[in-house]
Order: sequence, then structure tokens, then C-alpha cells
Amino acid sequence: MPSLKMDAPQGKTELVSRWTLDAGDYIAAAELSRDGRLCIVGAGDGAVLGIDVDTGREVFRHVAHPGGVLAVSMAPEGTQFATSGQQPNAKIWKATGELLRELPGGGSQWVDHVAWAPSGGRIATAAGRTVRVWNADGEPLLETEPLPSTVSNIAWRADGTALAATCYGGVYIWPFVADAKVRRFEWKGSLISLAWSPDAKVIACGSQDSSVHFWRLATGQDSEMSGFPFKPKALAWDSESKLLATSGDATVTVWDFRGKGPEGKRPIQLESHKSVCTRLAFSRRKCVLASGSQDSSVLLWEPRRTAQPVRYAFLEDEVTALAWHPEHQGLLGGDASGNLRFWEVS
Amino acid sequence: MKKIPVTILTGFLGSGKTTLLNRILSENHGKRIAVIENEFGEIGIDHALVINADEEVFEMNNGCICCTVRGDLIRILGNLMKRRDKFDHILVETTGLADPGPVAQTFFVDEDLRDLFQLDGIVTLVDAKHVQLHIEDSSECKEQIAFADVLVLNKTDLVSESELNALELRVTSMNSMAKVLRAQNADVPIADVLDVGGFDLARAVAAKPTFLSPEYPFEWAGTFEVEEGVYELLLEDGPDPTLVLVAMYLDANEQAHDKLAAERALRIWSEAAQETLPSSTVEIGGTQAASLQLKAPGTKRFSLRAGKAGRLGLYTQHLPVEFRLRLLRGESPMTPVAEQEFAAGHTHDDQVTSVGIHLEGEIDGERLNQWVSQLLREKGTDIFRMKGILNIKGVANRFVFQGVHMLFDGREDRPWGAAPRASDLVFIGRKLDREELTRGFELCRA
Repeated sequence: MPSLKMDAPQGKTELVSRWTLDAGDYIAAAELSRDGRLCIVGAGDGAVLGIDVDTGREVFRHVAHPGGVLAVSMAPEGTQFATSGQQPNAKIWKATGELLRELPGGGSQWVDHVAWAPSGGRIATAAGRTVRVWNADGEPLLETEPLPSTVSNIAWRADGTALAATCYGGVYIWPFVADAKVRRFEWKGSLISLAWSPDAKVIACGSQDSSVHFWRLATGQDSEMSGFPFKPKALAWDSESKLLATSGDATVTVWDFRGKGPEGKRPIQLESHKSVCTRLAFSRRKCVLASGSQDSSVLLWEPRRTAQPVRYAFLEDEVTALAWHPEHQGLLGGDASGNLRFWEVS
Repeated sequence: MKKIPVTILTGFLGSGKTTLLNRILSENHGKRIAVIENEFGEIGIDHALVINADEEVFEMNNGCICCTVRGDLIRILGNLMKRRDKFDHILVETTGLADPGPVAQTFFVDEDLRDLFQLDGIVTLVDAKHVQLHIEDSSECKEQIAFADVLVLNKTDLVSESELNALELRVTSMNSMAKVLRAQNADVPIADVLDVGGFDLARAVAAKPTFLSPEYPFEWAGTFEVEEGVYELLLEDGPDPTLVLVAMYLDANEQAHDKLAAERALRIWSEAAQETLPSSTVEIGGTQAASLQLKAPGTKRFSLRAGKAGRLGLYTQHLPVEFRLRLLRGESPMTPVAEQEFAAGHTHDDQVTSVGIHLEGEIDGERLNQWVSQLLREKGTDIFRMKGILNIKGVANRFVFQGVHMLFDGREDRPWGAAPRASDLVFIGRKLDREELTRGFELCRA
């Protein structure tokens, strides 16, 4: 429940909603296809929905993972997608909603994460302390040694040639090119969020102890940014890998990686949400940042230009999902009560 | 939004946690319960959600013990809470050797769980027969007992009544706050282990007058009926090389712990004690206390001579259970007619004890906050748990609070109603200084 309600920012325009849909339960995950026509949503009651982005029409709905969906990831070609939930198997579906195959998790633990590589046709899953990588036909390519603790996040390098995973204890990177070695960055703390910069140079993580870490892959240099009141669950890079937005408060903090980087520099502080920021997403096309909050508000920012929000919108409950249209035509948002809304942006 | 209660089940391997879990789950209580079981758990019940978890204890880089949490719980409970049809109760079972601190702290430290869940109670199962193997030297065992809101002495059919009494005294000397239940096959009423959050401290204080009793130099007083003759007093190795003891006659209807009797014992105690070596005799009704010399390893035997039949009041410097003190007539052990433990005026350095403080009058909220904050900052490592029901000036309702190590949270509870407005505070931990704590609390008076 949002504790405080944000008032509409004065003199700003509210985003126009194209459609709203009641998905039935907590929006746990949402993604848009690269052509911007299909959206896949996973809900807390275990349902996976396919929605036509133009009309908001529900194309299919399956109870995919009784107990709850945990992750959704679309193939770059948009013809298939993968889901996981509170079950020991991940599932691969056709974009039209037919189940293609299941990927076993190897035990009784939930498959917490699933991520389709941006290219190269690989799919990564994480269950318990083990990461597995599969090809598009569901054949196993890699099963890692168990990490020191449960995998908390996975992320592909933007070109799909390496996979990163975080856990309590650090970051691991497995390369998928000949002769490259597995890398590890140690950190005695629980890393709860992960974002790999689009230029592949920096790995950013939020930590349970309310700090943010950046590892520069070229040198292995680790920088810690602490002082957040809450744990930074949401992280987002802009498409040029220059700005990193982080949550950890009602204020959104944006770190500027131009020049010598954010160390020792005052970050950009974006204040307007009344309650803690829960989701962040940069539009791929323009340097526009969307932030969602526990107070149900969604704000658009142009952090290089102004520290004031430029547009705003509301959902009905805590914002739990945000996804941009790849051509910057709109923004998809979901909340903890199952409301799903698509706003026009351009 | 009502927070979802969480019950933590601890206890050594074989103490009966799984049996209790099974009983809770199979009973028809109409609750939707989710169980988070440790990786070795073996519950299989269809209508309950049972999740196996690796106990992942996360220490933070800052090294602060209160930041040590169970990462698996944060992740799993966070995911469970995404459903609309949420659970009514969460049960977390820990492995046998687990320290209950991190699991309890998780519900105070993590901002997401703190908003959604409330620690209802820590239930510790104790294997009445085998706990003797661990209780004196296993810190995990002591911590599990010290952290408990409810202590279930299980498998009572495997031990004698007097062994059970001794065990109960021992565990309550460590944790006077907990409700103690006896069970054979973990057969305790479910209502006594779930939803104990409303646990009434004032009632506990009423039931355990040691909280309020004056401080005597003895920790225990036992009342026995004796015949004329010689009895045998047996002691095993204990925490100290000596034990002071007073043995005196009582009036026919008197109990050793009655105030007048205890004060007579105190007068005898204040005379120089007679050094008494093993095999020698202590006379009941002597004018001096006996200082039993216990340096020799193994069982120490003393004779206790009753010059006449009557009622014996036996007062010991430490709890009998710490030395496995037994009184024998021939071969058969004597059971006390009555016994009472007194709050210790002293403690062994690392001994786990409870300190309960009762205060009349109103408390100044600001002063209390400052005192508790400073106390926990300095002593939080040694204070395992803290609970209080407070009469705060300007607050109409009872103010209840509880803490785990350095973390605490408080809130207004129900109105006082007919109950007398007063404050009770209980600490459980190591190296607790009763006088200092009492003084500190008294300074918080409005």
C-alpha cells in the first residue's frame, strides 16, 4: 500500500494512457518485443499474458507457473519468450502463446531468473546457486559450479558474448568466446541488483547494505557509493552508458560516467516521489528516464537538462514494472495490484 | 495493512521440530501457512506450501552483527508476497545448530520484510533427555534457549520428574521471559506456539516472582521433609570451585523461600562460612553456612546430618542444576516439597541470564529512547533479546516493544483498561548487570 500519495507536479503534463488492463495479480515482470508490438507479462498468481501493444487486447493467458511468475525474457527476434516462476523448471513459449519446451532447473529450487541473450541465441537460467545456459533448442551449453550463495541476478553483455551473475560474495562473469577466462569481483555483502552498461565497460550492483558498487571491467576497480536510506533495488543505464540511475530512496540518484566518472562528483538528485523509488528504466532512443515509486506515481525525467520531472502518470498501487517501447513511442507500467497501463509518450 | 506473523522454530537435531511442524500443518486451524524449511527438512504435506531453503547467513561488509541476516528469507518471502491470496502465517524452521539471531534480525533489518511481516515468536524445542549434553558448553544451545518466547521441553517421557524440574529451573534461569511447555511428542496446543505475539509480559512477571524478589546471596531455596539420620549430598563439576550452602530447620508449614525463612537463612549466610571438604558432614541447623570445596574432579560427596525429623530449608549459592546437586536418602533421590529460584545477585561472566525490572509510575519516552539506544549501542552484542510493556507519559495505551541485539521496535498496543499502569522490562543475554540496568531504567521515570 502506498503510504503517501504524490500530488501531480505543477505545470507538467500527465501522460495519456492508451489502454489499461487488469492482469489479475501483482505484475512481477513485463517486457516488450523489439518491434514494440507484443508485450509479455508475468503475474503473482502464476499467469503469463501476451498483450497486443496497439490495442491492449489480451492475445493469450496461461497459468504458466502456479505460485507466481518470477521472470520473463523475450528472444531478440520476438518469435519466442522464456518464463520462470516458483517452480523448478523454466518454460519456453512461442510468441503466439504455445508452450515449446521446459528447461529443467536441476533440483527442487525455483528458477529465480531467466534471461535471453541479446544475440547469439543463448538463454540463461539461475536456480539456487547454479547458473545454466541453453541454446535456443533447449540443449544445455553450460552448468556452472555452485556459487557461494543463491544467484541474486543475471545479466548478459549487450553483445551476448558473456554472462554476469551476482550473489552474496561478488560478481561472476562467464565468457562465451574462445580462450577467455571466468572473472570474479569479490564483495563481502549481498548484491541484490545488477546492471551491465550497454558499452560493456561497467558492472553496477546494488547491495543489501544500502550501497551501490561499480566495477570497471578494464581495471577491476571497485567503487562504493553508500549513504542510501534503503537498499538500491532498481538500477538503469542510459543507452550511451553515460548515466546510471539508482534507487534507494524516494529521490532518484543519477551518476554521471562522463570524464573521470562519478567518483568524487556530486550526483544528480531527482526529487518528487513521496515514497521509495521501486523501478527505473531509460528509454533506448532518447535520454529519458522513467521512475516508478511505492507511492504509485510514474515520472519521466531528462536528467541532463533538468532535475524536475518533465511528465507524470499514476498507477493504482506500488509500481512493480516499467518497460519502454523500443522506438520511444510509449511506456508500459505495472503495479502490485495487477494494473497494467500503456502511456503514449511522443 | 495487518502484518503477517512469523514463527521461528529452533532446536537441536532430534529435538522434535519436524514433529511439531507436522502437527501444526495437519491440524485443522483454517490458516494458510507457508513453511520455510531448512535444506535437511523432510516435511511433505500437500495442502501447505513448504519451501526448502539453504540457510544463507549474510554478514555485511561493515561487520556489524545486527546487519547479519538470512538472505534466503528476504528473497523467498519477498517473492511469496507477490500473490494476492497471501498467507496467514509463516513458519521458519532453522537447522539444529543455527544461531537464532540472524533469522530474527532479518525481520527488523530488511525494509521490505519489516513492512510486511512481524516476528510473532521464537519457539525452541529442547530434547529433555539429550540437552544435558549441550546445555553447559554449546553456545548455540544456550542462544536458542535464550532467544525463545516459548520453550518446549520435549520427550519428557524419557526423563524423571525431578530431572525435568531441574531442567526447567535451568532454562528459566537463562530465560525467564519464555513460556515453558512440557511435551512428549511435541504435543503442545497449537495456540500456545502460534500467535504468541500478544504474550503478556505482566502475566509472566506475575507467574515468576523472581523478577521482583529482593536479591539474596543464594540463587535457590528448596524445602524437604527429612527423618532423623544422615543424608548424602552429591555434586558434579560445576562453574565454580566452591559452593556456599545453608541447611536449616523450618517451621512445619513454612517453605524455604518464604520471606521470613529466607531472611533467617540470610543471617546465617552473613556469618563466615565453614570450609567443608568432600566426605565431611554438614549439620542441619548449624550456626554457619558451609562452603563446599569442589576443586577435586568428579563426583563430590558430602554428608548432611539431620539431628531430628522435620522440615529442611536448603539454600544454595548457585542453582543446583549447575552442579547437578542431588540429595539422597540411601540410594533414592529426594524431591523437594517446594523450591524457588532467586534472581542472581551475581553472574558468571559468560552465563546467559535474564533480568526483569518492574517500575511504578510513568516513563519519559524521550529519556527511555536515549537510554535504550545507548545501551544497545554499547551492550547490544551481549543483549540477545529485550521485551517491555511500558507506561509512557502522554500515551494513552500500553506501549510494547521488543528487540533483538541492537535492533528494536516499539508501538502502541491496547488500552490499559483495568490493569494497573506500570512498566515491565526484561533483558536476556550475557554479562547482564542487574543493578546497572535497574538504575538506568529508573532514571527514565518521568
